[in-house]
Amino acid sequence: MEGVYFNIDNGYIEGVICGYRNGFLTSNQYLNLTQCDTLEDLKLQLSSTDYGNFLSSVPTEGLTTSIIQEHCSDKLFNEFNYIRNQLSGKSVKFMDYITFGYMIDNVVLMITGTIHARDKSEILSRCHPLGWFDTLPTLSVATDLESLYDTVLVDTPLAPFFKDCFDNADELDDLNIEIIRNKLYKAYLEDFATFVSEEIEEPSKEIMLELLGFEADRRSINVSLNSLQSEDISDDLKRSLLPNLGKCYPVVSDMLAKAHDFESVRAALSNVYEYRSLLENGNLEDQFYQLEMEQCRDAFTQQFAISTVWAWMKSKEQEIRNITWIAECIAQNQRERINNYTSVY
Amino acid sequence: MSATREQVFPTRMTLGLMKTKLKGAEVGHTLLKRKSEALTKRFRDITKRIDDAKQKMGRVMQTAAFSLAEVTYATGDNISYQVQESVSTARFKIRARQENVSGVILPQFESYIDQDINDFKLTGLGRGGQQVQRAKEIYSKAVETFVELASLQTAFIILDEVIKVTNRRVNAIEHVIIPRTKNTIAYINSELDELDREEFYRLKKVQEKKQLEVAKLDAEMDAEKKRLAAEKAALAVEADDKGITEQLNSTTLEDKKEGDKSNNNLVQETEDDVIF
Amino acid sequence: MSDKRTLIAVMGDEDTTTGLLLAGIGQIDPKTNDKNFYVYKENKTTKEQLEAEFNTFTQERKDIAILLINQFVADMIRSTVDSYVEPFPAILEIPSKDHPYDPEKDSVLKRVRKLFGE
Repeated sequence: MEGVYFNIDNGYIEGVICGYRNGFLTSNQYLNLTQCDTLEDLKLQLSSTDYGNFLSSVPTEGLTTSIIQEHCSDKLFNEFNYIRNQLSGKSVKFMDYITFGYMIDNVVLMITGTIHARDKSEILSRCHPLGWFDTLPTLSVATDLESLYDTVLVDTPLAPFFKDCFDNADELDDLNIEIIRNKLYKAYLEDFATFVSEEIEEPSKEIMLELLGFEADRRSINVSLNSLQSEDISDDLKRSLLPNLGKCYPVVSDMLAKAHDFESVRAALSNVYEYRSLLENGNLEDQFYQLEMEQCRDAFTQQFAISTVWAWMKSKEQEIRNITWIAECIAQNQRERINNYTSVY
Repeated sequence: MSATREQVFPTRMTLGLMKTKLKGAEVGHTLLKRKSEALTKRFRDITKRIDDAKQKMGRVMQTAAFSLAEVTYATGDNISYQVQESVSTARFKIRARQENVSGVILPQFESYIDQDINDFKLTGLGRGGQQVQRAKEIYSKAVETFVELASLQTAFIILDEVIKVTNRRVNAIEHVIIPRTKNTIAYINSELDELDREEFYRLKKVQEKKQLEVAKLDAEMDAEKKRLAAEKAALAVEADDKGITEQLNSTTLEDKKEGDKSNNNLVQETEDDVIF
Repeated sequence: MSDKRTLIAVMGDEDTTTGLLLAGIGQIDPKTNDKNFYVYKENKTTKEQLEAEFNTFTQERKDIAILLINQFVADMIRSTVDSYVEPFPAILEIPSKDHPYDPEKDSVLKRVRKLFGE
């Protein structure tokens, strides 16, 4: 029955998204891209895909990987904004939640720039366009977290995420900022999950919880691995960085927080079927990407689901990373690694 | 000729000085030449190593840039700014050591890493931390290559300068100082020879004068003798007449002997003079 | 003469600078906020800015032992770089991601070639 009313609000968007989904680069197209000898060739190949002539304004000699990446991202942002403008009600809230992740990055970036007294306009130009909000520029007035919260953040959607961050951060330094970032992200993921389970209908709910859980697990595993070298993070602090959802929660999360070497992380992960072989072979990040893409691909199989937006967003980001990677390999003449991209479509 | 010799008095002392100077210049020349050769050898060695290192640098940087591409792939694109913002204190520092090559001090850069400082402890904590770590290692290696190359390059610049100066000195000694000193010596020698010849001529002249004098004296003496003989003859005629011839004769004979003696002495003296 | 020179400075594009900073060469003076790195931005940085920065690193700052500069950046201020002959700080031209290294342009290698008459 859940599908009956879905199309009233979201039918058009679902159609658009499915259209976008068909525009993803296929493995054949990737194969063509990897055959290119120069970035100019790559541009030509891309023009026959959904990207069209998005690089036509760029002169050949000015073609660099970063420019390609920039243009790809611009295209994605335009599409995202288009979709957001077409939606109403709860679905808009859902879209907003997607942008919160980028907002967190922007806020952290602003704070970092502020404590190092950098030029505000310079930092603002670096902010992620999807994470933009009106009061972002005023963040630079803050010197400590509390005043930052009182003056600026309280009015932003991020306000609830900060509730856990006040206990240790009396002073903003680089270490704290990275911890704040991860705490925020944890709070964000948990809040998103609550929102999804309370407000969003099946089958989107099930799919989204799955996807968010994966995101949370990825963060948990990464944090526990990357904090192995630094002694500054105590077990309790580490535990507070790990999101309380996903397949790792709760038992494995506790084990991860207590792990102090690679072996114990591996032992902890062996308790989760999906992640059992993660640390055994190859690049961790690549495997995560592979898993994520598979989940996203599966997400498209469900009809009447707003979760396709998230899946589309993530797939598109991955696609941009793939293109950037291939472009990078071509530009730097590192052909042997060029097939290291992640493609599932 | 006078332009390429030093302005000196052509005396025996200056000759000695000049000879010492020539000897010094020649020794200096060989020494400097050897120094220059040693430096040039070193220089060529360094040049070759620079060439190699620069090629190596190309490869190292390529790998490094690629590792950064991996970071970008893993973390998204804001990493560069994050890194720039997290910087506070240098972990990678340079120490300069000194090396002595034929009296030239060459600086040798040495890199060392302060393990206590780590500005990027948590960069990529949530994602891509391993890639960041890897990029960090690869770039550290790249910087080591750069430092090595920088030492070579500095040595190159300094050696270049020193070799130029040394070669200039070698050439100056070879083409200016040595020929000039040699010219001066030749000049002094010729002047001294000239003096010798003048002296010899002068002495000869003096002797000639003396011989003339002696000849004149001899002639006078002869004339006197003849006159005395004539007088004696005249007196003998008178003595025969007066009967005191005997007594007179003995006195004149003694006189004559004395006159002979003094005459002989004079010849002896002049002869001594001529021989000297 | 070079005891105080302990730092490596860098002038380069975003990627080169980021990488070298990751290696740990970056230092920011807490008082004056002087950085020992300078990020060149394509089409934004002017030749004058580059020259000013180059002069700061080579002449004013006394704590820099080596200045790493991207070759294509050096190309923009080629005459200034070429006329720089001091041993300290040592200038090193390095390749960048988008601009492969060209030994023909290197000011030091040029001198090498000139010297050996090649």
